[in-house]
Amino acid sequence: MKTPRREYPNRLEPFFENLVFDRDDNTMVINFGPQHPSAHGQLRLILELDGEQIVKAVPDIGYLHRGMEKMAENMIYNEFLPTTDRMDYIAATSNNYGFALAVEKLLGIEAPRRAQIIRTMLLELNRIISHLFWLATHALDVGAMSIFLYCFREREFAMDLMEDYCGARLTHSAVRIGGVPLDLPDGWIEKLAHYINKLPKDIEDYEGLLDQNRIWKMRLEDVGVIPPEMAETWGCSGPTLRGSGIPWDIRKEEPYELYDELDFDVPVTDSCDSYGRYKLYMQEMRESIKILKQLIPMYKESDPQIMAHAPQYISAPKEDIMTQNYSLMQHFVLVTQGMRPPVGEVYVATESPKGELGFYINSQGGPYPYRLKVRAPSFWHTSILQELLVGHYIADVVTIIGNLNIVFGEIDR
Amino acid sequence: MMRRYQEKGDVQKKAYYNDRFWVAPQIPKDPVESDEIFAKDLESLKSKFEIKEAYIQRGQMVVYIDPKDNRDVLKHLKEELAYNFLSELSAIDWLAQKGEFEIFYQMLSTSKRKRMRVKCFIKEKEAIESVCDIYKSADWAEREMYDMFGVIVNNHPYMKRILMPDDWQGHPLRKDYPLHGDEFAQWYEVDKIFGKEYRDIIGPENRDSAYVNERDTKHFARIRHEVRFGEEPSKEPTDLMKEYQEEGGVFLIKKFKKDKSITLKERK
Amino acid sequence: MAQHQVRYLQDGGLPVLLTTADKILQWGRSNSLWALTYGLACCAIEMMASGASRYDFDRFGTIFRASPRQADLMIVAGTLTKKHAEFIRRLYDQMAEPKWVISMGSCANTGGMFNTYATVQGVDRVIPVDIYLPGCAPRPETLQYAVMMLQKQIRRESAFQKLKPKRLV
Ligand code: SF4
Repeated sequence: MKTPRREYPNRLEPFFENLVFDRDDNTMVINFGPQHPSAHGQLRLILELDGEQIVKAVPDIGYLHRGMEKMAENMIYNEFLPTTDRMDYIAATSNNYGFALAVEKLLGIEAPRRAQIIRTMLLELNRIISHLFWLATHALDVGAMSIFLYCFREREFAMDLMEDYCGARLTHSAVRIGGVPLDLPDGWIEKLAHYINKLPKDIEDYEGLLDQNRIWKMRLEDVGVIPPEMAETWGCSGPTLRGSGIPWDIRKEEPYELYDELDFDVPVTDSCDSYGRYKLYMQEMRESIKILKQLIPMYKESDPQIMAHAPQYISAPKEDIMTQNYSLMQHFVLVTQGMRPPVGEVYVATESPKGELGFYINSQGGPYPYRLKVRAPSFWHTSILQELLVGHYIADVVTIIGNLNIVFGEIDR
Repeated sequence: MMRRYQEKGDVQKKAYYNDRFWVAPQIPKDPVESDEIFAKDLESLKSKFEIKEAYIQRGQMVVYIDPKDNRDVLKHLKEELAYNFLSELSAIDWLAQKGEFEIFYQMLSTSKRKRMRVKCFIKEKEAIESVCDIYKSADWAEREMYDMFGVIVNNHPYMKRILMPDDWQGHPLRKDYPLHGDEFAQWYEVDKIFGKEYRDIIGPENRDSAYVNERDTKHFARIRHEVRFGEEPSKEPTDLMKEYQEEGGVFLIKKFKKDKSITLKERK
Repeated sequence: MAQHQVRYLQDGGLPVLLTTADKILQWGRSNSLWALTYGLACCAIEMMASGASRYDFDRFGTIFRASPRQADLMIVAGTLTKKHAEFIRRLYDQMAEPKWVISMGSCANTGGMFNTYATVQGVDRVIPVDIYLPGCAPRPETLQYAVMMLQKQIRRESAFQKLKPKRLV
C-alpha cells in the first residue's frame, strides 16, 4: 500500500480502531475515550457489543498517571502535601487530611482540639462539594442539564467558603501535618451557618426535580446493580459499598478525629442500583450538614491552639518563630532538611467522599518516605467496570461511570 | 579530582546532611498477645502455615509469611477468619539492599473491625502467585505492581501494563529508575508522534523550573512586561494586558464600565 | 516547555494591514469561539465551573463542543501525560482550520509541579499553543481573560493570509 502523503510532520497514521465490525460473530468493538466528555476524565473503555448490549468491557487507565508515588519518594513529607491535592481534586482537603493523618500516626502525635474541629468542618464541607459535583456531572451525563447549573450554583458558595479559609478554590492544601495553618477568619462561621441553613432546601429542590422524574428513574433504576458479594470481593468502599447494603463507614466504625463525639447516621440502602446510590448521596449531604451544625458550638468553646506541640517534627507557631531564637533554628532545620519520622510503617484509612482513602507509608528514618502507596477508592471502583458493564446497554455506560463517582487524578495518581 | 562514586542501585534523592550520632527511633512493635482478636487469628494461622514473624504496630497486625503460601494464607483469612476485604496490595523495592521485593497485602475485616498486613519477600527474578480469584480486587493491583516494579504474577488472567503505555520500557517505581525518567521516557512523545529525526528540532525537555529565556517572547514574558506577538521583550512595564478590547471598542460588544457596575452587599 | 526560537519574519507573525472584509470575518470568528472540552485533570473542573452558572462562558460566545470537528479552540486543561500525548495530537489534527489552542494551567504550560517521568513537559512539545494561562488551577475568571485576549488577538490577524505556519504543524 502506498503511504499517504503527509502534510504534517507527524507519524501518526489514521486509525480506525474506533469502530471494528467482526463479521463472524456479529459483534462490534467500540472504543470509548480516552477523551470522552462523559468519561469523567481520561477513561478508555474498549467495549464489545452485540447489537446494543455489551458482552465484554476492557477499561484502560493510566492516561493521567503523573508519578505521584515516585514524587513522594523524592520529597520531604511537608513538600508532598500539596501534591495530594491533585489526587482527588474535587475534594482536595480530604486527601490532605488522609496524608496528614497518616504522617501524624507515623510520628505518634495528635492535632490539638481546635485544629481537629476545623479539619472536620473542612472535610464535611468538602464532602458536600464533592457530592454536589457528583450530582451535577452525573445529571449532565444522563441528560438533565439544569441540575448541573443548579448544583454548581450551590457548589460555588461552598467553594467561596473554602477560598475564604485557605485562599484556593480547588487545590486547598488546607491541612498541615500536625494541625491546620490558620484559625478560621472572622465571620466565617456565620457564613457557614448561613450556607448550611439554606442548603437543605436546595437539596430538596434537586430531589423535587429528579426523584420522580420519569427519565431519571428509567435511566437509573436497576442499572449498575452491584450485589453485596460483588462489592466485597472487588474492594468497594464508601457510598458504593453502602449502596449495596453493607453498613461500613470508617467514620463510624473506626472513628478518627472527632467523629466519635459527633452524632450522625450512616445511610445505607440495599437496592444496590444507581438510583439507590443517588438517594444515598443526597442523604449523605444531609448528614454532613448535621455534622457541621454540631461543630459550630464546639468550635466556639475550644482553645485557640491549632498546631500540635512536637518541636522535633513540627515548626513552632509563627509568633514563636519570630521572637524566639531556638524556634527559628528548629523551623529552619525542618524546612530545609525535613522531619525525620521513626522507622516503621503505617496504613491509615480515612473516609473520603469517594470511599476508603488509605495511605501506606514506609519510613526508614530518613526525611523522605521510603515507600508511599495511596489506596485510592476510585481505582478499585473502576476495576469493577469490567464485570459491571457486561449485559448493560451502551446507553447505560455513562450512567454507570457517572454513578460510581470516579476521579482520574486518584485512579492513576 | 575524582568524582565521588555513587550507588546506581538507588538513584532517589538523598538527605544532604546526616547527623553522625543520630539514630533513628523505631515505632514500637507490640507482641500479638496484647490484642485478643489478633492473638486468636495468629493462632489459627500458625496452626497451618509457617509464620516468620508477627507483631502489632500502630494497632494493626503485621504477619510475615512464606511467599509460596500466599494464596493459601489469603484464602484462610477470607474463609475462616472473616477478613473479607483486600484493601491494598503492592510491593516495596529492597533490591539495592537485599536483592528482594517485599510484597504486602493489606486486609480488612468489617465484622471484627480489624486491619492486618500480610507480608512476604521474593527475590528479584521470582514470580508470585496471583490471588485475584480469591479477591477480585487484586486484579488491577497486581497489574499495577507488575507495571511499577516488574514483579511477575503467575496465573493472572491479563498480565499487562496498566498505568504506563504498553510499549514503555522500565519499571518506574524501582529505586534505580530516575525520577525524571531515562532517555526513552524523556523522548517518548516526540519519538512516537514525530519520529526520532525531530528530536533536534524540538529540543530536549526543560526540567529546570527556574529557566527563563528573555528572547523567547512567544512564551513567557515577565508579568506586566507582556509585549505583542513577535516584538522584542521590553524593559519598561507595559500596559498591554490591562485592556480587554481595542481602543474604540468592538462592534456590538459592550464594554465593561467600572463606574456603572454595582457590588452586592450580601450574598444571596 | 520546549526550548526553541521562533523566527517571526519567516513565520508571518508580524502585524498586517487589515481590510474591512478581514475585520468582519475575524469579528465573527472571535465572537463564536467554540471550545473543545479537553479536560485532562484538575483544571478541567475549573473549566467546567467557568461554563456553569456563576461564570457563564456563553457570554463570550464560547460554547463547549465535544467533537473536535465542530471546535475552533482547544482548551488544554490539565496535565498531559506521555501516554495521552498521542491522542491530543490526533484530536488537534482533526480540528478544522483556523484553530487556536489555550494551554490552561501550569501543567499544560510546562509540566508544572509534575517534574516526573510520566508527564509531558508542556503541551507545546506536541501541539502549537497560542495562549499560555498560568495558575494551578487558574480561576475561571482567568480562563475568561485568556479567551478575551485570544479574541483580541484574532481580531488583529488577517483572515485571508495563507494559513500561518505554526511551529510543529
Ligand atoms: S496546573 Fe495544577 S490544577 Fe491544573 S492540572 Fe496541573 S496540577 Fe492540576
